[in-house]
Amino acid sequence: MIEAVPPPSARMSTLNWARKNFFATWYDAVFSIILAVLIIMGLNALIGWAFLDAIWSVENKDQCTYDAGACWAVIESRGRLILFGLYPYEEQWRSTIACLVVISTIALSCLPVFWSIRRIPILWIAGFTIFVLLMRGGFAGMPLVSSDQWGGLSLTIFIFAGVFVIGMPLAVLFALARRSNLPVIAKSFGFFIDIVRSLPLLTILFAAAVIVPLLLPEAIQGNKLMRVVIAFAIFFAAYQAEIIRAGLQSTPKGQEEAAVALGMPYWSLISDILLPQAFRNTLPSTINQAVITFKETSIVTIIGFFEVMASGNAAIGNGEWGNQYVEVYVFLALIYFIFVFGLSRYGAWLETRMRLGHA
Amino acid sequence: MPEVAISIESLEKHFDKFHALKDINLEVPDGQTLVICGPSGSGKSTLIRCMNGLEGYTSGQIEVLGLPVGDNALVLDKVRKQVGMVFQNFNLFPHLTILENCVLPQIRAIGRDRKAATAEAMDQLHKMQVEAHSKKYPDQISGGQQQRVALARALSLKPKIMLFDEPTSALDPEMISEVLDVMQDLTRADMTIVCVTHEMGFARAVADRIILMAEGVIVEEGSPEQMFNDPQNEITKEFMKVVHS
Repeated sequence: MIEAVPPPSARMSTLNWARKNFFATWYDAVFSIILAVLIIMGLNALIGWAFLDAIWSVENKDQCTYDAGACWAVIESRGRLILFGLYPYEEQWRSTIACLVVISTIALSCLPVFWSIRRIPILWIAGFTIFVLLMRGGFAGMPLVSSDQWGGLSLTIFIFAGVFVIGMPLAVLFALARRSNLPVIAKSFGFFIDIVRSLPLLTILFAAAVIVPLLLPEAIQGNKLMRVVIAFAIFFAAYQAEIIRAGLQSTPKGQEEAAVALGMPYWSLISDILLPQAFRNTLPSTINQAVITFKETSIVTIIGFFEVMASGNAAIGNGEWGNQYVEVYVFLALIYFIFVFGLSRYGAWLETRMRLGHA
Repeated sequence: MPEVAISIESLEKHFDKFHALKDINLEVPDGQTLVICGPSGSGKSTLIRCMNGLEGYTSGQIEVLGLPVGDNALVLDKVRKQVGMVFQNFNLFPHLTILENCVLPQIRAIGRDRKAATAEAMDQLHKMQVEAHSKKYPDQISGGQQQRVALARALSLKPKIMLFDEPTSALDPEMISEVLDVMQDLTRADMTIVCVTHEMGFARAVADRIILMAEGVIVEEGSPEQMFNDPQNEITKEFMKVVHS
């Protein structure tokens, strides 16, 4: 009798794993060691700069020299300017709450429970209205803060949320119009979308800020921020419309036929059957578009808005903290990173969820 | 004379240069089970899709339950509420549960309230023996089950006429009979049925009348007995020989 040999252990020991992945050949080993040394040196320098040698409080400001580590005191001193811009100091709690409201609105609309043609608009309109009321004030003992004074992170978030909330319904409208059976509508919307997509965002924003007031009577031109958000939303909608259109086209013809044969009305065919599938099919691109839009909000600096990037520049622009630009930019980068990384992770989670079952 | 459910007069249909239907004349009396068969590309599917306006036509006349099927969207809407259709590829809505697939059309198309719609849907799903899957999504059940759900979905709108467009052609062989069985129950009820199929055994068992199409023309029509045992036309003879072998 020959005893059965036990199967080889499937799990590799750490040593074997390292040998297989890093030291398989002599040149693998050389590269592994060089890279390891570089990584350790880099990490060492980074941790030393950012934490160990860092100066945290404003009282020690005179220790901030080139030899010392990061001078985070600048954030303590200028953080409020970066986050709130020129928003009045005593009223900044309003800006904070307004930001939190918009962030929770964004978070809530990420939950599949809210993905219906009724719930999403209610949620967005509610969140957006609360934000504007809080930021603007002028009632219930809250002094009026006009949008010229809005700034910092809350302005960035306002622009992003405004563009998304106005742009998304526009995008759906554009996409449906471009697919219309009436050639006049389909062609003219197609032409309009292609024109908008072929213009740089900067040009469109400049036109909205500077040229539109020359063309429209004062009564209907609104304030500059409003015009810029609407122009940005149209730009966003032109791109998002093409994404939605792709989603509609990837939905099998049979879906529409089944709904039509069942006697479901056109609006129901669109809102219950086609759009939900189109959005599910194109979620990665939609999230990508949201990420791009969030990052592009910094462009409004150029037409005189004091969003987070501009207020960051202002924080180091007055000489007092002029040497701490690296710290301020790192801080700004962290803010962007948190938003963008959050969106990307959310996108990845959705894709897994949809692959496994159903969203 | 029985009432006429569907009447078609000198129907012509072109796809650009392709002449898909040539001078079709057809009457389906109320309660009849009509099977349309014929080689692929003969225009069977086009004909059945004209009956509820999924496909337009070049000239001629179609009347369903006395209503003219044409360009008028309001009339088409009335027609579709009384005519159910089952497709080759099921066409269930993949983002909705089985139950919601059956409930939503009732709410949207005929304005039934959710409670009544749910009761009706569960009743139909029960008759199709798929009520156990009501909470699942379409891609979690087999093709045969999906087709029975599609049938339940159409039936929960209480149509007077059912159109079947090759309902078993996309199914694995072992699932065909479970779908044909529930369809057979329908033919015993007094519903008007038009069915495009290649299942000649089924046609023989349930059809009141069979028509055979080839190249956009109705070549021959008659009772199953006649068509199977005593076909007159050469094309019919050839077709019957092929499907029997």
